[in-house]
Amino acid sequence: MSHTAEIDVKEAWGGGQSPFRISYGKLFMWFFLVSDALTFGGLLVSYGFIRHKYAEVWPKAENVFTHFPFVEQHIPLAYVGLMTFILIMSSVTMVLAVEAGHRMDKRGVTVWMFWTIIGGLAFVGSQAWEWYHFIVGTDAGALRNVWDMEKGAYVQQVFHGANMTTNEYGVPQFANYFFFITGFHGTHVFSGVVLNFIIFLNVLKGTYQKRGHYEMVEKVGLYWHFVDLVWVFVFTFFYLL
Amino acid sequence: MEFHDNYPQYEVMSNHGEEEGKKGRKTLWNVFWVMLAITIFELIIGFMAPSQGWSGTWWLKTLFITLTIVKAAAIVIWFMHLGHEVKFFKYIILMPYLVFMLYTIFIILTEGTYAGSSGNLTRVDPIFVKQQEELRSGHGHHAEPATGAAAEESHH
Repeated sequence: MSHTAEIDVKEAWGGGQSPFRISYGKLFMWFFLVSDALTFGGLLVSYGFIRHKYAEVWPKAENVFTHFPFVEQHIPLAYVGLMTFILIMSSVTMVLAVEAGHRMDKRGVTVWMFWTIIGGLAFVGSQAWEWYHFIVGTDAGALRNVWDMEKGAYVQQVFHGANMTTNEYGVPQFANYFFFITGFHGTHVFSGVVLNFIIFLNVLKGTYQKRGHYEMVEKVGLYWHFVDLVWVFVFTFFYLL
Repeated sequence: MEFHDNYPQYEVMSNHGEEEGKKGRKTLWNVFWVMLAITIFELIIGFMAPSQGWSGTWWLKTLFITLTIVKAAAIVIWFMHLGHEVKFFKYIILMPYLVFMLYTIFIILTEGTYAGSSGNLTRVDPIFVKQQEELRSGHGHHAEPATGAAAEESHH
Protein backbone atom coordinates (compact mmCIF):
# COMPACT_ATOMS: atom_id res chain seq x y z
CA MET A 1 0.00 0.00 0.00
CA SER A 2 0.88 3.64 -0.16
CA HIS A 3 2.77 3.78 3.13
CA THR A 4 5.37 1.19 2.20
CA ALA A 5 6.92 3.24 -0.54
CA GLU A 6 9.40 5.67 0.93
CA ILE A 7 11.61 3.83 3.42
CA ASP A 8 15.32 4.32 3.61
CA VAL A 9 16.66 1.16 5.26
CA LYS A 10 19.58 3.01 6.81
CA GLU A 11 17.35 5.68 8.27
CA ALA A 12 14.58 3.30 9.33
CA TRP A 13 16.06 2.41 12.71
CA GLY A 14 17.26 5.91 13.54
CA GLY A 15 14.26 6.67 15.76
CA GLY A 16 11.31 8.97 15.43
CA GLN A 17 9.44 6.62 13.13
CA SER A 18 8.34 3.01 12.94
CA PRO A 19 10.85 0.90 11.03
CA PHE A 20 7.98 -1.44 10.19
CA ARG A 21 5.80 1.38 8.86
CA ILE A 22 3.12 0.23 11.27
CA SER A 23 1.73 1.88 14.38
CA TYR A 24 2.58 0.80 17.92
CA GLY A 25 -0.92 -0.57 18.55
CA LYS A 26 -1.06 -2.67 15.41
CA LEU A 27 2.46 -3.96 15.96
CA PHE A 28 1.60 -5.23 19.41
CA MET A 29 -1.69 -6.69 18.26
CA TRP A 30 0.39 -8.74 15.83
CA PHE A 31 2.80 -9.79 18.57
CA PHE A 32 -0.12 -10.82 20.74
CA LEU A 33 -1.62 -12.81 17.89
CA VAL A 34 1.67 -14.64 17.31
CA SER A 35 1.75 -15.66 20.98
CA ASP A 36 -1.91 -16.68 20.87
CA ALA A 37 -1.26 -18.65 17.69
CA LEU A 38 1.52 -20.49 19.52
CA THR A 39 -0.97 -21.46 22.23
CA PHE A 40 -3.43 -22.79 19.69
CA GLY A 41 -0.61 -24.45 17.78
CA GLY A 42 0.51 -26.21 20.96
CA LEU A 43 -3.03 -27.37 21.69
CA LEU A 44 -3.56 -28.70 18.19
CA VAL A 45 -0.19 -30.43 18.09
CA SER A 46 -0.90 -32.14 21.42
CA TYR A 47 -4.31 -33.12 20.04
CA GLY A 48 -2.51 -34.71 17.09
CA PHE A 49 -0.21 -36.57 19.46
CA ILE A 50 -3.05 -38.08 21.50
CA ARG A 51 -5.09 -38.85 18.42
CA HIS A 52 -2.14 -40.65 16.88
CA LYS A 53 -1.70 -42.62 20.09
CA TYR A 54 -5.34 -43.75 20.19
CA ALA A 55 -5.72 -43.98 16.43
CA GLU A 56 -7.74 -47.25 16.41
CA VAL A 57 -10.24 -46.14 19.04
CA TRP A 58 -10.58 -42.50 17.99
CA PRO A 59 -14.21 -41.66 17.12
CA LYS A 60 -14.96 -40.50 13.57
CA ALA A 61 -16.33 -36.95 13.58
CA GLU A 62 -18.90 -37.83 10.90
CA ASN A 63 -20.43 -40.33 13.35
CA VAL A 64 -20.46 -37.85 16.23
CA PHE A 65 -21.64 -34.52 14.82
CA THR A 66 -24.61 -35.47 12.70
CA HIS A 67 -27.35 -33.15 13.87
CA PHE A 68 -28.81 -30.24 11.98
CA PRO A 69 -31.47 -27.88 13.36
CA PHE A 70 -35.09 -28.61 12.36
CA VAL A 71 -34.04 -31.69 10.38
CA GLU A 72 -34.87 -35.20 11.52
CA GLN A 73 -32.29 -37.03 9.39
CA HIS A 74 -28.66 -37.19 10.37
CA ILE A 75 -26.46 -35.19 8.03
CA PRO A 76 -22.78 -35.37 8.92
CA LEU A 77 -20.65 -32.23 8.42
CA ALA A 78 -23.54 -30.01 7.31
CA TYR A 79 -23.84 -28.12 10.57
CA VAL A 80 -20.14 -27.47 10.95
CA GLY A 81 -20.12 -26.39 7.31
CA LEU A 82 -22.73 -23.80 8.17
CA MET A 83 -20.71 -22.61 11.17
CA THR A 84 -17.62 -22.27 8.98
CA PHE A 85 -19.61 -20.28 6.44
CA ILE A 86 -20.89 -17.93 9.17
CA LEU A 87 -17.38 -17.27 10.46
CA ILE A 88 -15.80 -16.73 7.01
CA MET A 89 -18.71 -14.42 6.14
CA SER A 90 -18.20 -12.38 9.30
CA SER A 91 -14.49 -12.14 8.46
CA VAL A 92 -15.45 -10.63 5.10
CA THR A 93 -17.82 -8.10 6.68
CA MET A 94 -15.02 -7.18 9.11
CA VAL A 95 -12.50 -6.55 6.35
CA LEU A 96 -15.12 -4.50 4.50
CA ALA A 97 -15.56 -2.41 7.66
CA VAL A 98 -11.80 -1.82 7.71
CA GLU A 99 -11.87 -0.87 4.04
CA ALA A 100 -14.75 1.56 4.62
CA GLY A 101 -12.70 3.03 7.47
CA HIS A 102 -9.86 3.78 5.05
CA ARG A 103 -12.31 5.88 3.04
CA MET A 104 -13.58 7.60 6.22
CA ASP A 105 -17.03 6.22 5.38
CA LYS A 106 -18.73 6.18 8.78
CA ARG A 107 -21.93 4.64 7.50
CA GLY A 108 -20.07 1.81 5.79
CA VAL A 109 -18.06 1.02 8.92
CA THR A 110 -21.23 1.01 11.03
CA VAL A 111 -23.14 -1.34 8.73
CA TRP A 112 -20.29 -3.83 8.25
CA MET A 113 -19.33 -3.86 11.92
CA PHE A 114 -22.95 -4.52 12.79
CA TRP A 115 -23.04 -7.59 10.53
CA THR A 116 -19.72 -8.78 11.94
CA ILE A 117 -21.15 -8.71 15.46
CA ILE A 118 -24.28 -10.55 14.31
CA GLY A 119 -22.10 -13.19 12.61
CA GLY A 120 -20.00 -13.62 15.74
CA LEU A 121 -23.07 -14.09 17.94
CA ALA A 122 -24.52 -16.58 15.45
CA PHE A 123 -21.30 -18.56 15.57
CA VAL A 124 -21.13 -18.65 19.38
CA GLY A 125 -24.79 -19.72 19.46
CA SER A 126 -24.14 -22.49 16.95
CA GLN A 127 -21.26 -23.72 19.03
CA ALA A 128 -23.46 -23.86 22.14
CA TRP A 129 -25.97 -25.92 20.17
CA GLU A 130 -23.24 -28.28 18.99
CA TRP A 131 -21.93 -28.71 22.55
CA TYR A 132 -25.44 -29.39 23.80
CA HIS A 133 -25.96 -32.26 21.35
CA PHE A 134 -22.51 -33.67 22.05
CA ILE A 135 -23.13 -33.64 25.82
CA VAL A 136 -26.63 -35.12 25.58
CA GLY A 137 -25.61 -37.82 23.10
CA THR A 138 -27.69 -40.41 21.25
CA ASP A 139 -30.75 -42.31 22.49
CA ALA A 140 -28.91 -45.63 22.20
CA GLY A 141 -25.88 -44.64 24.23
CA ALA A 142 -23.03 -47.06 24.85
CA LEU A 143 -21.80 -49.34 27.64
CA ARG A 144 -19.20 -47.49 29.68
CA ASN A 145 -17.59 -47.71 33.10
CA VAL A 146 -19.14 -44.88 35.07
CA TRP A 147 -18.19 -43.84 38.59
CA ASP A 148 -20.94 -44.72 41.10
CA MET A 149 -20.88 -42.35 44.08
CA GLU A 150 -22.85 -44.64 46.43
CA LYS A 151 -20.88 -47.79 45.70
CA GLY A 152 -17.59 -45.93 45.47
CA ALA A 153 -16.63 -47.92 42.41
CA TYR A 154 -16.87 -47.94 38.63
CA VAL A 155 -20.02 -49.62 37.36
CA GLN A 156 -20.66 -50.65 33.79
CA GLN A 157 -23.83 -49.03 32.51
CA VAL A 158 -25.37 -47.47 29.42
CA PHE A 159 -24.01 -43.95 29.10
CA HIS A 160 -25.34 -41.17 26.86
CA GLY A 161 -23.27 -38.32 25.46
CA ALA A 162 -19.91 -37.16 26.73
CA ASN A 163 -18.22 -35.44 29.64
CA MET A 164 -14.61 -35.08 30.76
CA THR A 165 -14.27 -38.70 31.95
CA THR A 166 -16.76 -40.72 29.91
CA ASN A 167 -17.54 -40.56 26.22
CA GLU A 168 -20.22 -42.55 24.47
CA TYR A 169 -18.52 -42.26 21.07
CA GLY A 170 -15.11 -43.58 22.04
CA VAL A 171 -12.11 -42.61 24.15
CA PRO A 172 -12.72 -39.80 26.66
CA GLN A 173 -9.68 -37.93 25.26
CA PHE A 174 -11.74 -37.05 22.20
CA ALA A 175 -14.24 -35.21 24.37
CA ASN A 176 -11.46 -33.62 26.46
CA TYR A 177 -9.78 -32.11 23.41
CA PHE A 178 -13.07 -31.20 21.79
CA PHE A 179 -14.24 -29.30 24.87
CA PHE A 180 -10.88 -27.66 25.47
CA ILE A 181 -9.96 -26.55 21.95
CA THR A 182 -13.41 -25.54 20.68
CA GLY A 183 -14.10 -24.01 24.11
CA PHE A 184 -10.88 -21.99 23.98
CA HIS A 185 -11.72 -20.91 20.45
CA GLY A 186 -15.31 -20.09 21.45
CA THR A 187 -14.00 -17.92 24.29
CA HIS A 188 -11.88 -16.07 21.73
CA VAL A 189 -14.91 -15.57 19.50
CA PHE A 190 -16.91 -14.28 22.44
CA SER A 191 -14.18 -11.82 23.50
CA GLY A 192 -13.95 -10.78 19.85
CA VAL A 193 -17.66 -10.00 19.82
CA VAL A 194 -17.28 -7.93 23.00
CA LEU A 195 -14.30 -6.00 21.57
CA ASN A 196 -16.14 -5.46 18.28
CA PHE A 197 -19.14 -4.17 20.17
CA ILE A 198 -17.07 -1.64 22.15
CA ILE A 199 -15.45 -0.37 18.95
CA PHE A 200 -18.87 -0.35 17.27
CA LEU A 201 -20.20 2.00 19.98
CA ASN A 202 -17.19 4.29 19.42
CA VAL A 203 -17.89 4.28 15.68
CA LEU A 204 -21.48 5.29 16.37
CA LYS A 205 -20.30 8.09 18.66
CA GLY A 206 -18.03 9.35 15.88
CA THR A 207 -14.83 9.01 17.91
CA TYR A 208 -12.78 7.80 14.95
CA GLN A 209 -14.30 10.24 12.50
CA LYS A 210 -12.99 12.99 14.75
CA ARG A 211 -9.63 11.29 15.13
CA GLY A 212 -9.12 11.20 11.37
CA HIS A 213 -8.64 7.46 10.97
CA TYR A 214 -10.35 4.17 11.83
CA GLU A 215 -7.24 2.34 13.03
CA MET A 216 -9.02 0.87 16.07
CA VAL A 217 -11.37 -0.95 13.69
CA GLU A 218 -8.29 -2.33 11.96
CA LYS A 219 -6.87 -3.61 15.26
CA VAL A 220 -10.02 -5.48 16.35
CA GLY A 221 -10.24 -6.62 12.74
CA LEU A 222 -6.84 -8.29 13.07
CA TYR A 223 -8.05 -10.13 16.15
CA TRP A 224 -11.28 -11.14 14.43
CA HIS A 225 -9.47 -12.55 11.39
CA PHE A 226 -7.18 -14.45 13.71
CA VAL A 227 -10.23 -16.14 15.27
CA ASP A 228 -11.36 -17.12 11.78
CA LEU A 229 -7.84 -18.36 11.01
CA VAL A 230 -7.85 -20.65 14.06
CA TRP A 231 -11.26 -22.02 13.12
CA VAL A 232 -9.97 -23.01 9.68
CA PHE A 233 -7.49 -25.31 11.44
CA VAL A 234 -9.93 -26.59 14.09
CA PHE A 235 -12.42 -27.38 11.32
CA THR A 236 -9.86 -29.43 9.42
CA PHE A 237 -8.36 -31.34 12.32
CA PHE A 238 -11.54 -32.03 14.28
CA TYR A 239 -14.14 -32.54 11.58
CA LEU A 240 -12.52 -33.35 8.24
CA LEU A 241 -9.53 -35.55 9.00
CA MET B 1 -6.76 17.58 8.90
CA GLU B 2 -6.85 17.94 12.64
CA PHE B 3 -5.33 15.38 14.98
CA HIS B 4 -6.42 14.69 18.51
CA ASP B 5 -3.56 12.36 19.32
CA ASN B 6 0.00 11.83 18.23
CA TYR B 7 -0.48 9.03 15.74
CA PRO B 8 2.28 8.99 13.14
CA GLN B 9 1.53 10.46 9.77
CA TYR B 10 1.77 7.20 7.80
CA GLU B 11 -1.32 5.75 9.45
CA VAL B 12 -3.45 8.42 7.88
CA MET B 13 -1.58 7.88 4.62
CA SER B 14 -3.06 4.39 4.59
CA ASN B 15 -6.45 6.01 4.08
CA HIS B 16 -7.47 5.77 0.44
CA GLY B 17 -9.95 7.20 -2.03
CA GLU B 18 -13.10 5.91 -3.72
CA GLU B 19 -11.25 4.48 -6.73
CA GLU B 20 -8.76 2.47 -4.70
CA GLY B 21 -11.53 1.27 -2.39
CA LYS B 22 -13.48 -0.19 -5.31
CA LYS B 23 -10.45 -2.21 -6.41
CA GLY B 24 -9.76 -3.35 -2.84
CA ARG B 25 -13.32 -4.52 -2.31
CA LYS B 26 -13.22 -6.52 -5.54
CA THR B 27 -10.09 -8.35 -4.36
CA LEU B 28 -11.66 -9.07 -0.97
CA TRP B 29 -14.82 -10.52 -2.47
CA ASN B 30 -12.77 -12.66 -4.85
CA VAL B 31 -10.82 -14.02 -1.88
CA PHE B 32 -14.11 -14.77 -0.14
CA TRP B 33 -15.56 -16.68 -3.11
CA VAL B 34 -12.40 -18.75 -3.48
CA MET B 35 -12.42 -19.58 0.25
CA LEU B 36 -16.10 -20.49 0.12
CA ALA B 37 -15.50 -22.73 -2.90
CA ILE B 38 -12.63 -24.49 -1.11
CA THR B 39 -14.78 -25.05 2.00
CA ILE B 40 -17.70 -26.47 -0.01
CA PHE B 41 -15.28 -28.71 -1.92
CA GLU B 42 -13.82 -29.95 1.39
CA LEU B 43 -17.29 -30.69 2.74
CA ILE B 44 -18.34 -32.61 -0.37
CA ILE B 45 -15.14 -34.69 -0.28
CA GLY B 46 -15.56 -35.22 3.47
CA PHE B 47 -19.18 -36.27 2.96
CA MET B 48 -18.26 -38.77 0.23
CA ALA B 49 -15.14 -40.14 1.95
CA PRO B 50 -16.70 -42.88 4.17
CA SER B 51 -18.78 -44.47 1.38
CA GLN B 52 -15.95 -44.27 -1.15
CA GLY B 53 -13.42 -45.76 1.25
CA TRP B 54 -11.27 -42.62 1.19
CA SER B 55 -11.28 -42.11 4.96
CA GLY B 56 -7.82 -42.03 6.44
CA THR B 57 -5.96 -42.33 3.14
CA TRP B 58 -2.74 -40.33 2.95
CA TRP B 59 -3.79 -38.38 -0.14
CA LEU B 60 -7.01 -37.25 1.53
CA LYS B 61 -5.11 -36.02 4.58
CA THR B 62 -2.57 -34.23 2.36
CA LEU B 63 -5.38 -32.66 0.34
CA PHE B 64 -7.23 -31.37 3.42
CA ILE B 65 -4.10 -30.01 5.09
CA THR B 66 -2.95 -28.32 1.86
CA LEU B 67 -6.34 -26.67 1.35
CA THR B 68 -6.33 -25.55 4.98
CA ILE B 69 -2.95 -23.90 4.56
CA VAL B 70 -4.17 -22.21 1.36
CA LYS B 71 -7.18 -20.78 3.25
CA ALA B 72 -5.01 -19.72 6.20
CA ALA B 73 -2.59 -17.97 3.83
CA ALA B 74 -5.48 -16.14 2.15
CA ILE B 75 -6.74 -14.88 5.51
CA VAL B 76 -3.30 -13.70 6.63
CA ILE B 77 -2.29 -12.11 3.30
CA TRP B 78 -5.52 -10.35 2.27
CA PHE B 79 -7.83 -10.14 5.29
CA MET B 80 -5.12 -9.39 7.83
CA HIS B 81 -3.31 -7.32 5.24
CA LEU B 82 0.11 -8.85 5.96
CA GLY B 83 0.78 -9.07 2.22
CA HIS B 84 0.94 -5.29 2.09
CA GLU B 85 3.20 -4.72 5.08
CA VAL B 86 6.93 -4.07 4.96
CA LYS B 87 8.97 -7.15 4.03
CA PHE B 88 10.95 -7.08 7.25
CA PHE B 89 7.75 -7.05 9.28
CA LYS B 90 6.42 -10.12 7.45
CA TYR B 91 9.54 -12.03 8.43
CA ILE B 92 9.39 -10.85 12.04
CA ILE B 93 5.84 -12.21 12.34
CA LEU B 94 6.07 -15.39 10.29
CA MET B 95 9.59 -16.74 10.80
CA PRO B 96 9.63 -17.31 14.58
CA TYR B 97 6.20 -18.90 14.39
CA LEU B 98 7.05 -21.23 11.52
CA VAL B 99 10.34 -22.30 13.10
CA PHE B 100 8.66 -23.11 16.44
CA MET B 101 5.68 -24.87 14.91
CA LEU B 102 7.65 -26.95 12.41
CA TYR B 103 9.98 -28.06 15.18
CA THR B 104 7.06 -28.90 17.50
CA ILE B 105 5.32 -30.91 14.80
CA PHE B 106 8.56 -32.71 13.97
CA ILE B 107 9.29 -33.62 17.59
CA ILE B 108 5.71 -34.68 18.33
CA LEU B 109 5.59 -36.95 15.28
CA THR B 110 8.87 -38.51 16.35
CA GLU B 111 7.79 -39.02 19.95
CA GLY B 112 4.24 -40.01 18.99
CA THR B 113 5.59 -43.00 17.12
CA TYR B 114 6.97 -44.42 20.38
CA ALA B 115 4.12 -43.34 22.63
CA GLY B 116 1.61 -45.30 20.57
CA SER B 117 3.38 -48.64 20.89
CA SER B 118 2.30 -51.07 23.60
CA GLY B 119 4.42 -51.00 26.74
CA ASN B 120 4.60 -47.23 26.48
CA LEU B 121 1.01 -46.61 27.48
CA THR B 122 0.51 -43.87 30.01
CA ARG B 123 -0.06 -45.02 33.58
CA VAL B 124 -3.72 -44.25 34.21
CA ASP B 125 -6.52 -45.69 36.25
CA PRO B 126 -6.77 -49.43 35.37
CA ILE B 127 -10.43 -49.01 34.54
CA PHE B 128 -9.50 -46.73 31.62
CA VAL B 129 -6.85 -49.14 30.40
CA LYS B 130 -9.51 -51.86 30.44
CA GLN B 131 -11.92 -49.58 28.65
CA GLN B 132 -9.36 -48.88 25.94
CA GLU B 133 -8.85 -52.59 25.46
CA GLU B 134 -12.58 -53.07 25.16
CA LEU B 135 -12.85 -50.29 22.62
CA ARG B 136 -9.96 -51.76 20.63
CA SER B 137 -11.54 -55.21 20.57
CA GLY B 138 -14.84 -53.70 19.46
CA HIS B 139 -16.81 -54.51 22.59
CA GLY B 140 -18.79 -51.87 24.36
CA HIS B 141 -18.80 -49.79 21.21
CA HIS B 142 -22.50 -49.16 21.37
CA ALA B 143 -25.10 -50.71 23.62
CA GLU B 144 -27.20 -53.36 21.94
CA PRO B 145 -30.80 -52.19 21.70
CA ALA B 146 -33.55 -54.80 21.82
CA THR B 147 -34.46 -55.09 18.13
CA GLY B 148 -32.42 -54.95 14.96
CA ALA B 149 -34.55 -52.20 13.45
CA ALA B 150 -34.07 -49.98 16.48
CA ALA B 151 -30.34 -50.65 16.29
CA GLU B 152 -30.27 -49.58 12.64
CA GLU B 153 -32.08 -46.39 13.48
CA SER B 154 -30.00 -45.41 16.45
CA HIS B 155 -26.73 -46.20 14.69
CA HIS B 156 -27.58 -43.84 11.83
